[in-house]
Amino acid sequence: MPTAPSLLECQRRFMAALYAPDAAGPVAAIAGNGLEPAARLRIYRHSSEAIHAGALRTTYPAVLALVGEAFFEQCVRDYRRGRPSRAGNLQGFGQHFVEYLATLSETHTLPYLPDVARLEWLRQETALAADAEALSANALAHTSPVIEGIPQIALHPSVRLLASAHAVLTIWRYAMQPGDGRLQLPYTGENVVSWREAGEVAMAALDAASFACIEMLACGHTLENANAAARAADPAFDLAACLASFAVRGLLVAHPSGLRVTESRTCP
Amino acid sequence: MAAASRPPERADVTDLAATGVQPVPAAAGIGLRAPHLVRVRDERPRIAWLETHSENLFAAGGPFCEALDFIRRDYPLSLHGVGLSLGSADALDIAHLRRLREVVGRYQPALVSEHLCWGAVGGMHSNDLLPLPFTEEALNLVVSRIGQVQDALQREIQVENISTYLRFRDGDYTEWDFVAEAVHRSGCGLLCDVNNIYVNSINHGFDPRTYLRALPHAAVEEIHLAGFTRKDNLPVPLLIDSHSRRVDEKVWDLYAEAIALFGPVPTLIEWDQDIPALEVLLDEAARADEVLDAHRALAA
Repeated sequence: MPTAPSLLECQRRFMAALYAPDAAGPVAAIAGNGLEPAARLRIYRHSSEAIHAGALRTTYPAVLALVGEAFFEQCVRDYRRGRPSRAGNLQGFGQHFVEYLATLSETHTLPYLPDVARLEWLRQETALAADAEALSANALAHTSPVIEGIPQIALHPSVRLLASAHAVLTIWRYAMQPGDGRLQLPYTGENVVSWREAGEVAMAALDAASFACIEMLACGHTLENANAAARAADPAFDLAACLASFAVRGLLVAHPSGLRVTESRTCP
Repeated sequence: MAAASRPPERADVTDLAATGVQPVPAAAGIGLRAPHLVRVRDERPRIAWLETHSENLFAAGGPFCEALDFIRRDYPLSLHGVGLSLGSADALDIAHLRRLREVVGRYQPALVSEHLCWGAVGGMHSNDLLPLPFTEEALNLVVSRIGQVQDALQREIQVENISTYLRFRDGDYTEWDFVAEAVHRSGCGLLCDVNNIYVNSINHGFDPRTYLRALPHAAVEEIHLAGFTRKDNLPVPLLIDSHSRRVDEKVWDLYAEAIALFGPVPTLIEWDQDIPALEVLLDEAARADEVLDAHRALAA
């Protein structure tokens, strides 16, 4: 009689069968009891797929709306096979979905899709970022942003930024709530900031100068450099007014704890 | 194999009170899910206690964590893990355990539970609750892992019996003896999921009362109740532990028998898919409370 596989070997084969329909799994170790062992394993593969699909549907609702149920489900199966879940906590499972979508030839007719997916991943990061008390516009008015060269303000930990060549925020909103009319797309791209407001993820498109400013701050540059970058985009840029508008939205916190946000991004 | 080192003495009601932790009472609670978060925080409905998945609190911050900071002041809290994978044959995910320890430290729950199962191997996760063979090898493994977790958290945990859709050919134990031995040897508490016992009794053909009777009754510190779905078009009857509907009548009957055996135990209504209005969960919880009250009336 063949020796039963060790627990480790059995689990390795079981896991392989959960990710690859063509992997046999530890069928010899499973009691059929009226149902093929492969059919019993299939129940588990479908269950794990459904769990992963649920996580991606929650994180990427606009991508789902744009590509449709059937294609999204196919993407889920394909994605999880190439990028198996690496944590017992599902919150990070969709982290590589953007890269995956960008490789698909089927989505080339939707050139904005990767950026919509990027925006949805940044929304997830915003939703799960550390808590911090926002600096009110009134408090900002009574604060000098820099004292003796040390910045006294920082970006809220939930702030995330996306510069897109597409009207990504307009498209996202349309995908989530199409309404009756046809979508009138702006001719330019949109620079989006996302942040947390009263427990919800909020988003806004910023003008080029304001975005240049916040992007510099996010990358750890000084206010002086941020101001210079913003003025390069718009000579009429007003730093104080811009910071006040950031404070109104809750994008700033007190404390010179560092301006850099935690996401990895290409910094100017 | 030597039994895992035992955790510090179980915190009794007095100890919990001294640390400001509200003990979970022998009454019905509900699983707190995202759609109900704001209502529970703002309206403070009458619920004896709440449970949430530990992993919901793994993020650095955000609405769930923030709301829990408030909610735990008003309700006894239980944290229920779904991703630690106690039975992984290679290794426990230490990063996951470390985060769990931080979360337990921050929220100070009265109960901390995990599942008697595996879900990951070789760094790959199914994010599902997968079956173990009921062998001596698997038993030794989970006993040692429960000890490792209890040592890391410096407290007792509860382990839950799971629903399964297959059995392994090799086995040294029945499922109920495997569960009872794991609890006995590790010194942990038992989270007895009555729905899972019923689901497995149909899926694998046994009398669920045999299972209930074989459990170490004094170690049962929590009960779970949930709804299942029936998988059609198969040559054998098969129930799926979907947590997507009301508790089945057969499971309510079995629950009454469990309470007759164990005495009143904190009982949770779980509902994780197709989540209904909060009132539906409260209604199910009220029914569990009726069973607990009826038992107390009989015992008086």
